Order: sequence, then structure tokens, then C-alpha cells
Amino acid sequence: MDHLSIISHIKEIDGVELLDIREPHPDETIISIRPKDFKKVCMHLHTLCPSPVMMLFACDERRKGAGFSIYAVFMAAPQKKWFVIEMNIAENEARFDSLAKEIYSASLFEREIKEMFGIEPVGNPDTRRLRLHDEIWPEGHYPMLKDFIRTTDTTSVSGDYRFTKVEGEGIFEVPVGPVHAGIIGPGHFRFSSAGEPIINLEIRLGFTHRGIEKLMEGKDPADAVAIAERVEGDSSFAHSLAFCHAAEKINAIAVPERAKYLRALFLELERMYNHVNDIGGIATDVGFSFPAALASAIKENILSLNEELTSSRYLRGVNIAGGVLKDVCRDKIKLLKRALEVAIKDINRLKEILDSSNSFLDRVDGTGILKKKTAQDIGIVGMAARACGIAMDLRKDFPGIYDKIKFNIALEHSGDVLARLRIRFSEFMESVRLIGLLIEGLPPGDIRACHAQHKEGLSLGYAEGWRGQVLYALKLDPAGIIERCKIVDPSFHNWHGLSYSVLGDIIPDFPLCNKSFDLSYPGNDL
Amino acid sequence: MEIILLIAQWAIFLTAAPLAGGLITKIKNYLRMRKGPSITQPYYNLAKLLLKGEVVSQNASWIFKAAPMVVLSCVIAASMLIPIFVPAGYAQYTGDIFVFIFILALGRFFLSLAGLDTASAFGGMGSSREMFISSMVEPVLFLSLFAISLKTATTNTEMLLNIPAASVSTILAGAAILMATLAETSRIPIDNQETHLELTMIHEAMVLEYSGPRLAMIEYASYLKQFIFFAIIANVLWPTPIQYSTTYAQLFMNMLMILAKISGIAACVAIIEVSIAKMRLFRAADFLLFSFALAVMATVAAALGA
Repeated sequence: MDHLSIISHIKEIDGVELLDIREPHPDETIISIRPKDFKKVCMHLHTLCPSPVMMLFACDERRKGAGFSIYAVFMAAPQKKWFVIEMNIAENEARFDSLAKEIYSASLFEREIKEMFGIEPVGNPDTRRLRLHDEIWPEGHYPMLKDFIRTTDTTSVSGDYRFTKVEGEGIFEVPVGPVHAGIIGPGHFRFSSAGEPIINLEIRLGFTHRGIEKLMEGKDPADAVAIAERVEGDSSFAHSLAFCHAAEKINAIAVPERAKYLRALFLELERMYNHVNDIGGIATDVGFSFPAALASAIKENILSLNEELTSSRYLRGVNIAGGVLKDVCRDKIKLLKRALEVAIKDINRLKEILDSSNSFLDRVDGTGILKKKTAQDIGIVGMAARACGIAMDLRKDFPGIYDKIKFNIALEHSGDVLARLRIRFSEFMESVRLIGLLIEGLPPGDIRACHAQHKEGLSLGYAEGWRGQVLYALKLDPAGIIERCKIVDPSFHNWHGLSYSVLGDIIPDFPLCNKSFDLSYPGNDL
Repeated sequence: MEIILLIAQWAIFLTAAPLAGGLITKIKNYLRMRKGPSITQPYYNLAKLLLKGEVVSQNASWIFKAAPMVVLSCVIAASMLIPIFVPAGYAQYTGDIFVFIFILALGRFFLSLAGLDTASAFGGMGSSREMFISSMVEPVLFLSLFAISLKTATTNTEMLLNIPAASVSTILAGAAILMATLAETSRIPIDNQETHLELTMIHEAMVLEYSGPRLAMIEYASYLKQFIFFAIIANVLWPTPIQYSTTYAQLFMNMLMILAKISGIAACVAIIEVSIAKMRLFRAADFLLFSFALAVMATVAAALGA
């Protein structure tokens, strides 16, 4: 089924009237609908694509006298299309039909819209706030509204956060966090357990909410790249790439081939250092310190290589709308090749050590299983999804430059810690192979396209970061200034997956499961 | 003279104990291609904790405050019962191995109560896990030390210096005690002293609420307990019988010998810790069951005269 038949299918739904269908970019179809058809159309797209709700966000258009716009984004991987459902709701009727009961992956987005804009998702059973904690954020202040004025009032009116309560004999609650031992972000974990086995885990996040999306508004895209890079320290490049991608699409900038190759190269380097870091982290969490030390040595080598290539260990200051700022010259290619040879030798040794250790395999095998069905319902993306048998990877689905260098997707089916560990190993090896091909085929030429004109429009930017797909929805006004920028980091979906994967496991195995996902607090909290 | 020797032996216990911990850390780091802190670091840590202030939960009762003293006193009392280089005759060791194990159990009992006392989730979790582990460690210790007492025809702790030579039963008993010691001193594969992950801790979770001088007492007690166990293992696995008639020069040699043996045991523990992963909590039962089986075999072997 191609994307046209999906559209005609939607047209034929009873009582649905499509106001407008447009394709501003070859990979995007925007369908405008009436608010009352929203639920029907979304549910059809959800099953037709099939796709969870990838993005669901609002946009304040009241200054133009147009109330609020709400966008829902679905991904049709086989058709290589993003479907964007657009609807307009009036200011005095700030509500829409909730999808949460039918499409679970919409639930968090709806709560977000409610707390940020004051738009009511009618029928969402979960009315709690997501990031603006009740304890410090007074009611009636919606920060994403254009006319929002920051308040200094931090008196709570609505008491404590309600955690899901599990009752029964011998059930007790273990609260952990938000301050943790070790250098990690803040998050609160509430375990309900009977003895050691976990009956329920609820994760409360939002402690590192910085208002990134609000910060983006009113900025020139050229300046905003620096903000995108700082959404999440370990995915700096994926975030800046996704952001630049969106800006380039709107302004119709043709990125030079060489820049595309270099971007893929840096993206793979970012994947490599993070994957090996997590392999080491998993070993540390089970107290297996020798391989952990080896992994940190490999990671350090890649970080030093990053610094040599781009003068930034975390690949910041590289991307810009139109291309990249750092070229990789011939000398550096030699350096890169040598570093990769060392890396592949070390990673093979690391793999051998871990694979031949019974005590290690006993810990990871069968621990923290995330079922495929659960993963699909929650809308798990990226590496965690590939570990439970969902073959989704933007490098395969929307290949771009990866089309030229045959990319092999890593896939595992057991969904446990071991599967996620294996995905990491195979992706690391695949990255080394891809980088080899990329530098072989690196075309000569410019690394940056110049552009002058500014355009208005809405577009999606995306990149397959090491955790999964990083999505940006960017809306520019006629002067080329950012009007709205919605960011969806893979952590946003995947934190939920973590809370399901630990059920039935014992409490002391939680840190191991957590590390196998290695999700980001700031990426989720924005 | 006798009293001076006894005090010297006891002083070695008290002063050298943290060194064994520092040595293990050093060896582990060396094996991991790292430099690691100096082996005297534990002394600095203890000094730092002693000088620090202390935070005590408002919900804590006297048990929480008294437990570190009880634990430390118990371990010090236990250390007085264990001979390392001064043989019986110079001194009368007035306790037997059962007293030794029960004195340590008393300390553990108070520490577990203290873990529950502040009503924090971690303390309770730690106490319950500690009890789960000790319920399996204690039988192993009883049975393997009993096997040795069969060899030496006494249950008095002086037997540790009377083991005539390594035999099947002492080696099996020594291995069983070594495994139990890994659990008792919260080492990998049962527990992990290096971790910062509260949820995975056993012993550390139980004492998580402690700070300052009281934490120093608990840590010092752990070092001391570890040193006692290493001394027992050293004497069981590598017996060098010491007679009353020994000269002072010989006693001094004995002392150097036991310290070398303890360092050897520390090195073994460090190598074990680096080369395997920590077990899943409930797998600890399998591990300790295996050591119990070794202890049973040791007893049977000892009864058969092997």
C-alpha cells in the first residue's frame, strides 16, 4: 500500500471531511482536519501505518487570531512518509478528544499539552502533571502560551503527587530519588514490591525541566542549534542534526554531499562512544569491573578522536543549518582509520570477555524483559525497540545517505538486558564498518551551503541517535524566526518501557535494567 | 611477658586490619589497569569520618545510636579470641569457636535492628537481605570450624594454631570458610563494596543512614572482621603448627609469616572480585549452599581421619 492509498482510505472514513492535504516536502504529508474527526483519523492512521503516536503537540496561534493548532505525527515506514494530522481549535473551546484510551502512546503527549497550554484532552484518564510539579508550580500558569508571564509564585494548591497505590499483604513501597548516588540525573522511582520482586514501578520525572522549547521560540535557527546541542549531553550531535534537518527542509537548503557524509560519520562516532559506555556501565552494575575498565578505555579513545576531528569531545559546534563547520582532511582520515582499527580490536576483546563469563551472562540473560506487544503499545523507539524484535531504524526507514552504503539493521528478539547488550555490540561493529565506507566514498566539495532567504513553514527533522529517533518539529514565521519547536527524544517514550520491563524482576536487578536502557533525564524533561 | 605478647598480637589485629582492605583495593585497581588509592587510604577515610559531624534521623531510637558501639565491641571481643601467632600456653584462649561465631552474630543482630530502626526503605531492605545471607553463612562457619575441631580434638580457638598439616578436611573446610567470608565481608559475588547503587546493596544498604564517627565505627568493625576471617582462612588453608616452646625469634617469624599469608588471601579475594560478576541476589543461596556442601564434606573427611 503506498501513501496515496492511505490517504484515500482516510478520505473514505464515514463522516470525515479532509480540509486540506499538502506535501511541503517529499517525506511529509500534512492533512488538515476538523476537530471532531481528530480521533477517528488518528485511529485509522495508527492502524494503517502502523505507527504509535510519534509526536503530538500544540501550537499557540492566538496572535494570528487562529486559536490553537494541534499536530499529531505518525510514521509510515514502508511508504517512507511522515503523516502530520493538523487541526485547529478555537481559543474558547480549548479541548480535544483524547486518544490515550485507544492509543496509549498519546497519553504522555496529552498530559504535556494540558500542562503547557491549558488545552484539555477530553477523556484522558491520567490528569496528573508531567513536568511542572504540583509542589512548586501554581495552577493556571501555562508556560507555552505566547502571552505567558513568568510568575514568582511557587505556592502549591494541589498537594502531593498521586502515585499508583498497590495494596495487599506484605506489599511495601520503596521510594528512590530524585537525588541518586553517582553522577546521574534526577528522577524519582517508586517501587511497590512484595519481598524483592517488583509489583509496580512508577517513574516521576521532570526535575531537569529547563523550558527548552520555550527558549527556542523567537530565536534565529542559526543560534538555536547551540540550544539543540544542549538538550542532552550525550546526544548532542543527533539533536543538532535533527534540528538542522528541519531548518534545512523549510528553507529548502540543499546540503552538499560531503557534508551529508560527514554528518553520518559524526553520528556514528556518537553512537559508538555511547554504546561502549553502556556496555561498560552494564558490566559495572553487575560488579564486573575488569571489562568495565576496558570499556571506559575504548570510550576515552573515541572521545579523544572526536576532539581531534572536531575540537569537541561531544561533537558540539559541528552542525549548522546548511552543512557542517568541521571538515575531515586527509591527515585526519588516517588518524580516524587508525583509531577505528584499535577500537574494533578492543571491542572484540571486550565481547569475548563478556561472552565467556558465565557469571556475567547469568545476570543479563532473561533480566528485564520488555515484551514486543508492550513495546509497540507504548511506542518504544530505537535501540530498545530493536532489542524486542521491532525492526525500526531511521537509517533503514528514511535512509538518506545511508542508502549509498548499504546499512544492516541490528535486531534481537528476546527483549532482555542481554538483547540490548547484543544490539549495542552489533551496532558498534556496524558503525565501524559504516565509517569505513563513508570515508572511502567521501566526495570532495563544499561542506556547507550558503543561503540567504528565509521561508515560513512547518517541517519535521529527524535523526537516528544512539538511543533512537530524535524528532524535531520546527515552525518558522515569515522572518525565519522560530515560532514553535517541538522536541521528542527517544527517552520520552522509552522511560515508560523501562517501568514495564522490570515487573517481576527483583529490586536489586533494577539498576541493571535501567542501565541497559540508559535513558536521558534532560532529554525527557526538556 | 605473656601479657605483652598477647597485647602485641591484639595490637596487630587492631592496627593492621584496615591495611588488608586497602591492599585489596590496590590489587583490584592494579588488575584493572588503574593506579588506585594508596593502601593506607582506609586509615585516612576512618580519620575523616571521625572528624566529621553526624546526621541522625529524628525517628531513630537508642538502638540506632548504640548499634555501632555494640558491633565494634563484639568484633573487638571476637578478635581477642583468635590466635594468629601466639600459641596457647603463652596465653589461655578462653573461648571456643562457638562463642566466636555467636559474638559476631550479636553484633549483626544489633546492626540489622539499627537498619530497621530509622524506618527508611533502604535500611529495612538491607537488614532483610543481610539476615537472608547470614542465615546461610553461619551454618557454613559452624560446620567447617567443627571439621577442624575434629582434627585437633578441641573446639577452643587455639585449634587454629594446632592444625598438624594440610589435609583433605582442612582444605575443604578452608575453601568453605573462604566462600562464606566473601559473603560475610560483602565481597563479589555476593555483595559489591564499590557500588553506588543503593538498590543492589546488602550490607551497605543496612548502614546507609550512618554518618560521621558512628559510620567510622561500623567501617572499622568491618575491616577488623575481615582481618579476623582472613587470619582464620590463612591458618586453615596453610597450617604452620606453633608450639609453646617456640623462641621469640620464632614468634617474630610466625608473625611475619601470618601477615604474608593474610596478604596472600587478600590477593586471592581481589582476583576473585575482579574476575567474576556479582550474582543475582537469590543465586547467593546456591553459592552458599555449595560452600555448605564443602563444609559437610570436610566434616565427613575429618571424621574419617583424612
